Amino acid sequence: MMTLRMAWRNVWRNPRRTAVVLSAISIGIGGCIVAMAINLGMMAGMVDTAIESGLAHLQVHGDGWEKDAKLEIRLMQGGESIARALDEIPEIESWAPRLRAEGLAASPRASVGVSIAGVDPIREAGVSTAADSIAEGRWLGEPRHVVLGHRLAKRLNTKIAGKIVLSVQDLNGELTGQAFRIAGVIRSGGRDLDDGIVFMRLDDAQALVRMGDAISEIAIVTSDRERVDTIALQLRSILGSGPEVRTWEQLEPLLVYMIDSFDSIAWIIYAAVFIAMAFGIANVLLMAVFERTREIGMMRAIGMERGRVVAMVVIESSIVTLMGLVLGVAFALLGIWLIGDGIDISKWAGSLDEYGIESVLKPRMRRSDLVAPILIGALTAIISSLWPAIRAGRAKPADALRQV
Amino acid sequence: MIIEAIDVTKVYETRGVETRALDDVSLALGKGEFTALAGPSGSGKTTLLNLLGALDTPTSGKIQLDGVELSDLSASALSALRLRKLGFVFQAYNLIPVLSARENVEFVMELQGISLKERRKRADEVLERVELGGLGDKRPLEMSGGQQQRVAVARAIASRPSIVLADEPTANLDSGTAQRLLDLMLQLNREDGVTFLFSTHDPLVMDSARRLVRLRDGKIIGDETKAPSST
Repeated sequence: MMTLRMAWRNVWRNPRRTAVVLSAISIGIGGCIVAMAINLGMMAGMVDTAIESGLAHLQVHGDGWEKDAKLEIRLMQGGESIARALDEIPEIESWAPRLRAEGLAASPRASVGVSIAGVDPIREAGVSTAADSIAEGRWLGEPRHVVLGHRLAKRLNTKIAGKIVLSVQDLNGELTGQAFRIAGVIRSGGRDLDDGIVFMRLDDAQALVRMGDAISEIAIVTSDRERVDTIALQLRSILGSGPEVRTWEQLEPLLVYMIDSFDSIAWIIYAAVFIAMAFGIANVLLMAVFERTREIGMMRAIGMERGRVVAMVVIESSIVTLMGLVLGVAFALLGIWLIGDGIDISKWAGSLDEYGIESVLKPRMRRSDLVAPILIGALTAIISSLWPAIRAGRAKPADALRQV
Repeated sequence: MIIEAIDVTKVYETRGVETRALDDVSLALGKGEFTALAGPSGSGKTTLLNLLGALDTPTSGKIQLDGVELSDLSASALSALRLRKLGFVFQAYNLIPVLSARENVEFVMELQGISLKERRKRADEVLERVELGGLGDKRPLEMSGGQQQRVAVARAIASRPSIVLADEPTANLDSGTAQRLLDLMLQLNREDGVTFLFSTHDPLVMDSARRLVRLRDGKIIGDETKAPSST
């Protein structure tokens, strides 16, 4: 009890020094938590953008699509048998059939290679934000109309109600084409929707490439993104061999790689912050211990055990660390609350949406993001106090008493 | 005998140069003694006090405390022995600045594992005994040098040691304060039977001591026992 009381009072013996250590710990921890939240917000934003732009949580394709995504790999009868299986899994919130093809879009002034997506206008609205991102005109409804992104429209030098001709290779390898009128223009902020895809009704696409009632894929959105692996397994077991069921992570490995890379960079930054913090704490404590050499020598002389001296210094460091952690977490929560609506980085990073990163960074926090820096911070502080503490414990009473 | 040094030599080595701080010294102290180790600076008195106080180990020779041979003990056993058997008073008071006078006195007793109630009672008693009854809550920096040294004496005797070792206890005090401190220690010696061993070159202490051991160049050059003082 007396050791604890002494440690507490020693902490306040030099308030300025304690304030410096407290600032180092709380700014280090708080900064890490806020950085982690912004990082996670950015990552989550990238994933959200990709998923909402059409990737969805899961996709089902015909066998062989992964190796060679061509028209011949298709799901017959509009994927009817698969649709029945989807209805058996309650966690599947919505799904939409699609026909995918590559082609050439030509306006009177330009021609551009495009991705064609034949979609069920109503079902598609349940799996992607394409329908909600219409900036001009309207979403698909009438036959022989298309919806495309504003950038694509600009490249084609066309606008709403204008006509474009889409040329594709049909299922038999024949070159074919049809004219479509532009019903709506999308402005989503994401590159895929804004620049790459031409949406049309599923039956128009089936007619264009002469696919009958076949489709290329079914996009699925579940109620819990964290459980897509389990749901995919469940779906695979129902569908058996044949259709390919893949999660968004399997469909976009580059996105996963980017997230992992960002995480690694974040950990390198945290490591740098914590190492700097450790040296700061060790330095301040060493100074504090050095200044008290005589006092510690006296304590050892009158019979205080070495272990108890070490414990006293570690307790002192732990008290400061604990206060630093509480302050740091409070700063972090306050900071995250203050920037809760997001930081608008569009002024400095206008082209980030090319990579699916939103121009407004909204922090997000998981419980683990709070636990990890706190635990590592506490551990860093205690480990960094061991050196000064052991040094204090090693003081020979007679030598220590000779110090002035 | 409470404490005994037998043929003790202590050699310090600094950058390859050997200094013989004590040279084949033998000294025995019995219960109830009030002894001063006197001599000029460098005569070896602090070295001898440190060796007798189990704060340092001799290069050769033996130290025995209550019949226990100190060189046989580990660092942790020596620490426990200092805690149970020895009381220390230092020249620079060496109180713990973050603790009050009462807490400083209690500190050793807490290390000894004495209950809070008992140590609080004993601390108040010894503070009363050193005439600091009303100052228990004061921190060392709020007290005068003389008062701080009285707290140090109170701390040394509160653990009821076999002997109190005092290294130049009056060196930082003015003569009036030093005399009052000496009177107090003499009183503790006479009335409570506390055994004291001082290192000093203060004539006041030498005059008050009942036994005066003189050291020069690491050797004992005189050992005289005086008649009890009238104070």
